[in-house]
Amino acid sequence: MTNQDILVVLPEIVIALMACFILVLDLYLPATKKKKFGYGLSLVTLMVGAGLSIVYSEPAPVYGLNGLVLMDSLSAILKVGICISTGFVLVYSRGYADARGLWKGEFFALALFGVVGMMVMTASNHLLSLYVGLELLALCLYTMVALRIDSTAASEAAMKYFVLGALASGILLYGMSLLYGLTGTLYINELSASIVRHDGSTLPRTMALILVLVGLLFKIGAVPFHMWVPDVYEGSPTSSTVYLATAPKLAGFAIILRLLADGLGSLATEWQGMLLVVSIISLALGNIIAIAQSNIKRMLAYSAIAHVGFFLLGILTGEVSGYASAMAYILIYAVVTLGAFGVILALSSKGVEADLIEDYSGLNQSHPWAAFIMLLLMFSLAGIPPTIGFYAKLSVLQAVVNAGMTWVAVVAVVLSVIGAFYYLRIVKVMYFDDLATSHPGLQFRPKQDARILLTINGLAVVVLMPWIGKLTTLCEGAIEVLF
Amino acid sequence: MLANYLPVLLFLIVASGLGVVLLVAGKLLSPHRPNEQKLSPYECGFEAFEDNRMKFDVRYYLVAILFIIFDLEIAFLFPWAVALDDIGIFGFLAMMIFLLVLVAGFIYEWMKGALEWE
Amino acid sequence: MGWIMTTWDSLPLILQLGIKIGFIVGPLIVAVAYYTLAERKVIAYMHVRVGPNRVGPRGLLQPIADVLKLMFKEMIIPSKSDKYLFLIAPVLAVTPAFAAWAVIPFSGTLVLADIDAGLLYVLALTSMSVYGVIIAGWASNSKYAFLGALRSAAQIVAYEIAMGFALVGVLMVAGSLNLNTIIQAQSGGLHQWFFLPLFPLFLVYLISGVAETNRAPFDVAEGESEIVAGFHVDYSGMGFAAFFLAEYANMLMISALTVILFLGGWNSPFDFPPFSWLPGVFWFLAKLSVVAFLFLWFRATFPRYRYDQIMRLGWKVFIPVTLIWIAVIGAFKFFTPFGFIFS
Repeated sequence: MTNQDILVVLPEIVIALMACFILVLDLYLPATKKKKFGYGLSLVTLMVGAGLSIVYSEPAPVYGLNGLVLMDSLSAILKVGICISTGFVLVYSRGYADARGLWKGEFFALALFGVVGMMVMTASNHLLSLYVGLELLALCLYTMVALRIDSTAASEAAMKYFVLGALASGILLYGMSLLYGLTGTLYINELSASIVRHDGSTLPRTMALILVLVGLLFKIGAVPFHMWVPDVYEGSPTSSTVYLATAPKLAGFAIILRLLADGLGSLATEWQGMLLVVSIISLALGNIIAIAQSNIKRMLAYSAIAHVGFFLLGILTGEVSGYASAMAYILIYAVVTLGAFGVILALSSKGVEADLIEDYSGLNQSHPWAAFIMLLLMFSLAGIPPTIGFYAKLSVLQAVVNAGMTWVAVVAVVLSVIGAFYYLRIVKVMYFDDLATSHPGLQFRPKQDARILLTINGLAVVVLMPWIGKLTTLCEGAIEVLF
Repeated sequence: MLANYLPVLLFLIVASGLGVVLLVAGKLLSPHRPNEQKLSPYECGFEAFEDNRMKFDVRYYLVAILFIIFDLEIAFLFPWAVALDDIGIFGFLAMMIFLLVLVAGFIYEWMKGALEWE
Repeated sequence: MGWIMTTWDSLPLILQLGIKIGFIVGPLIVAVAYYTLAERKVIAYMHVRVGPNRVGPRGLLQPIADVLKLMFKEMIIPSKSDKYLFLIAPVLAVTPAFAAWAVIPFSGTLVLADIDAGLLYVLALTSMSVYGVIIAGWASNSKYAFLGALRSAAQIVAYEIAMGFALVGVLMVAGSLNLNTIIQAQSGGLHQWFFLPLFPLFLVYLISGVAETNRAPFDVAEGESEIVAGFHVDYSGMGFAAFFLAEYANMLMISALTVILFLGGWNSPFDFPPFSWLPGVFWFLAKLSVVAFLFLWFRATFPRYRYDQIMRLGWKVFIPVTLIWIAVIGAFKFFTPFGFIFS
């Protein structure tokens, strides 16, 4: 054990200890102080975590704890992204969760433990540390979905998520055990070299690949392993939905990149074909079924499936530029989705869930600013210029075309155009429909901090446009050192 | 090495055999005169009111879950304790950190009333 | 004498082992039988009564009469019970209670299986006893049995954790799972026995042992006045006898373990003559009898705990105490000059 070992996982250690501390502190503080302290401490912890990830980041991989974890720019960038997006989640959820009695120590502790899990996932160089991180995150997510104990929808969603998630974990673990059996190593950076050395039948290694892939695809919710996504997004309290819709996607990207591109890089030709099918049917199914949704959370769930399909396109190119574009895509997706759920959370006042699309009719007349932010975010999700969402899609498509898969790019564009329909329908409902009379009108009353962040978040999708090229450069720099 | 365990295996067989012999002896030596009243479930002289496989307090589940957590931890502590002299201060501190995390959970369940039986 | 050894050596290994096992199981059954008599006598004298005195001189044949009576009693299998489980449960109760004795060292050399994982084996088998209880309660299909089994299982698992933690403390000091090595670590006289440095753990272990075996004052699982007899209310004849046998064998087992882990096993209390002349097996049995006597003394002295009090004691007192003591042992070992206390 050296200092380096500690430094590699310092952000994780700090956040994990703080999560324990917040959980225990919450039990002893008087009710009036609980919320303030938990909230403040969690935000400070996340900032410290992000800060430590930057300060101690190294461009080239530095291994720690006997090679269980590593630290490189990729993990540093994603760790910062995870911490910041979780911070946004906490700020956005405060009003919503407070009104529903969910704003308590457990919420902060679960969110922070989940962050630890995600950070371990991004930093893992070992199949077991990867799995432990994944399970830590998954257990936190199951619980956060079920946090609202009086809601049958939430319980149902949590049960579904838990049962299917456990199954997927089992499949992933089985795949990992096959990999171990084939290669004799659990270190991800050694897998690639050892697995091709194995001669004889390719069946076991194809089996291992398929099982690992199924597990991973389930965790990020790609078709045909997407069944849980809509129910969980819809059923869980929105404060939990926003959490599980953003940061875990970043961690999911990290493990897919590490395991597929790095660990199983020598089998690229095999998984590229599988990913191609998965991403195209994800795009198709996500975009088409989203049109039929009347619930905005469910719609965003299908949109998430479609976006996962899109970023997998970047992965399946099997090239650095493709990985970098996928990374930029997922980072941008996280920012935009945060904002979209932030608006939903801000519009859901006490006793009112702003989750039906028809609730939004005429929002421009009652709350023009909220409607405008939503408009920007929807444009960005649809990929309409001049938003960063457009840039994200463009760079992935570029990478796909460069990899010589032009027809795939064409299909993706067509499906995205179909997808644009349902995002624009929200805009149409907000701007061109009359104020809803049959429903209690939505009130846009976020807390002050949430209002400021929401404004920044909404404007960022346009304002950041001139500097967005830097993001790709950053991502490329982070990924290049891996290969 | 493994031969040391042969007596243990044999002892296990003898011990289970003892249990079986007890029951068989009882069965062979004792009279067998059943009647309906005698064979009905015992309920202090009443007819049984309802199904005996009834609902019971959820806290028993809670105890079972807590037991699993702590028992696993003990299983983790055993090899650590035996090897304590070899792993030294570092091993000790590492386990104390682990226990610290566990104690946080223990305090949590205590304060949340999972250990209360009123 | 020589011919005995030659004959012995010429016997096949299995037969040798079988005879050795017989020499453990046989006396154990007798000990259990007379332990029940001792219980009745001791409690009687503590109540200023006489106790059983009709069968044989001073009632000495009473246990034999009891066994004969139980043997000729009808074994009732309730009509609604799950027959197979109902019959398996007593076997499951008896087997671990006896099998655990395979690794107990009666003296430095008098041990059937001197295995390195001895303590683990004992712990595994004593944990098994909860299955007999819970299966009996479930299979009987009677409310009293069911409630008794639930209570008893919850209690046993709660105290098993405290016991496990207490064992961790012993292991930290002894550094081995082999029971003989643990005893040798305590050689040199009374002051070397583990009950001194590990006094809190010793108390926790002893009391948890009483709770583990569902003995008074922790006998709510049987609570005659509340749920008649708990999990074995529907058993009669030899089925009942099997549970009885298991309970008392378990008590002797816990006594033996307490002696081995905390009271120096077969070591004599003073390392000079005339004490060191007496054989180890004498000291072992003497200490075992003292601890076993404590079980009876507790029963005669303490009123029964309420169930919530039992659970509170287990979870909220014993577990924190043991956890703290584990930390204390380690801290003393590594950070103070007084580490020799714990080694």
